[in-house]
Amino acid sequence: MASITRASVSMPSLSTSVNQSQRRISVMNSVSFPVSGRSMIPSLRLQRGLQVCCAAKQETVDKVVAIVKKQLALPADAAVTGESKFAALGADSLDTVEIVMGLEEEFDITVEEESAQSITTVQEAADMIEKLVEK
Amino acid sequence: HRRLPAVIPTPPVSASPFPNPKSQYCCLSRNFSAALTPLLPVQLPSRMETHLWYVVPDEVKSAPLLSKYMELLPQSERDHVLGFRGDQLQKSALLARTLVRTTIARYQVDGHLDPRSLRFKRNIHGKPEVEWETKDGFCPPPLQFNISHTSSLVACGVTMNSLIGIDVEEKRRRTKNNILAFAKRYFTAHEVEHLNAIPDSELQQQEFIKLWTLKEAYVKALGKGFSSSPFNTFTIRVNTAAQESFCLVKARKEASSGIAVETLDSPQNLTNNWQFALLELMGSHYVAICLERQETGGAGKAFPIKLTARKTIPSVEDELVSGTNAVVTIGGSVTQF
Repeated sequence: MASITRASVSMPSLSTSVNQSQRRISVMNSVSFPVSGRSMIPSLRLQRGLQVCCAAKQETVDKVVAIVKKQLALPADAAVTGESKFAALGADSLDTVEIVMGLEEEFDITVEEESAQSITTVQEAADMIEKLVEK
Repeated sequence: HRRLPAVIPTPPVSASPFPNPKSQYCCLSRNFSAALTPLLPVQLPSRMETHLWYVVPDEVKSAPLLSKYMELLPQSERDHVLGFRGDQLQKSALLARTLVRTTIARYQVDGHLDPRSLRFKRNIHGKPEVEWETKDGFCPPPLQFNISHTSSLVACGVTMNSLIGIDVEEKRRRTKNNILAFAKRYFTAHEVEHLNAIPDSELQQQEFIKLWTLKEAYVKALGKGFSSSPFNTFTIRVNTAAQESFCLVKARKEASSGIAVETLDSPQNLTNNWQFALLELMGSHYVAICLERQETGGAGKAFPIKLTARKTIPSVEDELVSGTNAVVTIGGSVTQF
């Protein structure tokens, strides 16, 4: 498989203001990935104006789950996955803000309040973190 | 206070679900195999009044009663309730929906008293509203409501005309994060200073919770969603003459300490459109109420909020508690009826 050369990636530039439902964009037609044992995500370096979000790493999801369990005082064996909704787990608005604060500290990011309010599941939190970490 | 007895129909005999014969619901539980007792109707609040209704989930133990409440809900709301993880969360979610439906039904708008028939919608920002039937000649009343719940308290505030936001929280709620670190991140500089000036950590914790509930109540009253009013864009100010009384539990009937909101984009003008009340309920919870100001008493001075508070177990019993120890005004200008 050909590997990406940084200068030669050419693909349609996508709006960076994709809404949440379109965040996982597949550009498999245009891009070939390097064959290597490493995670794909760090090796994708893209031109400005293009944003590709693959689903967040399991490691990120696991860290979010840990923070959520701690904030909501859930038992360690409580079933919390990417699909789990904060509200359904018992998080009220104060819990949600505390969870976001915990994520900011854990990942060294800053989450705008507007974005914080739109996070409702573990997966959404993990995806947002990855986006912010990449910057 | 007056305790209004529910009308209890002649019950067919059925087994009590409770092992403890001294349970106050032991006898009542036999009635729930029949239809729920009728809701006691209430007059709509006048333009200047605010009605506060609340349920204490721990006092609602009857499984048959909770099933009957579930039957009041449309399928979509039942699904929503069942989507919560665990009995306790499901129960408070159920009681929240039950409280709002039964409360609004009591006002018998257009002769209706059936909580099942109410429909709700959300405005474009997501704030829940009643969707009244559009019938010829029927002008829906400008009934406003807002709900808030924790696992230990479910509350609903109702007004005629005034936008209302309400938030409840346990007094002893602790944040996982350090209060000042949290406040520096999410509150305004004035509020951080206010908290920082409190030497006692217990009082500081309580003050934080009071501020949190007031800020939530304001945003909920605005009804435009939290992202339109991030917490660090407005300051809740308590006037200095009232600083001490803000921290003390004071007279039940009338209290007068000023709480006001100031938005950062117009710092010179206190935003006069909103007035606040802060209550301590049953000694265990803070209830913050934010209301759109309807009229002023000359020179911009607001009339006190006229509050009627009732504790309820819908279709079982109602208890008027305003003016009692159960509802203590600790902030804002409130007269209890």
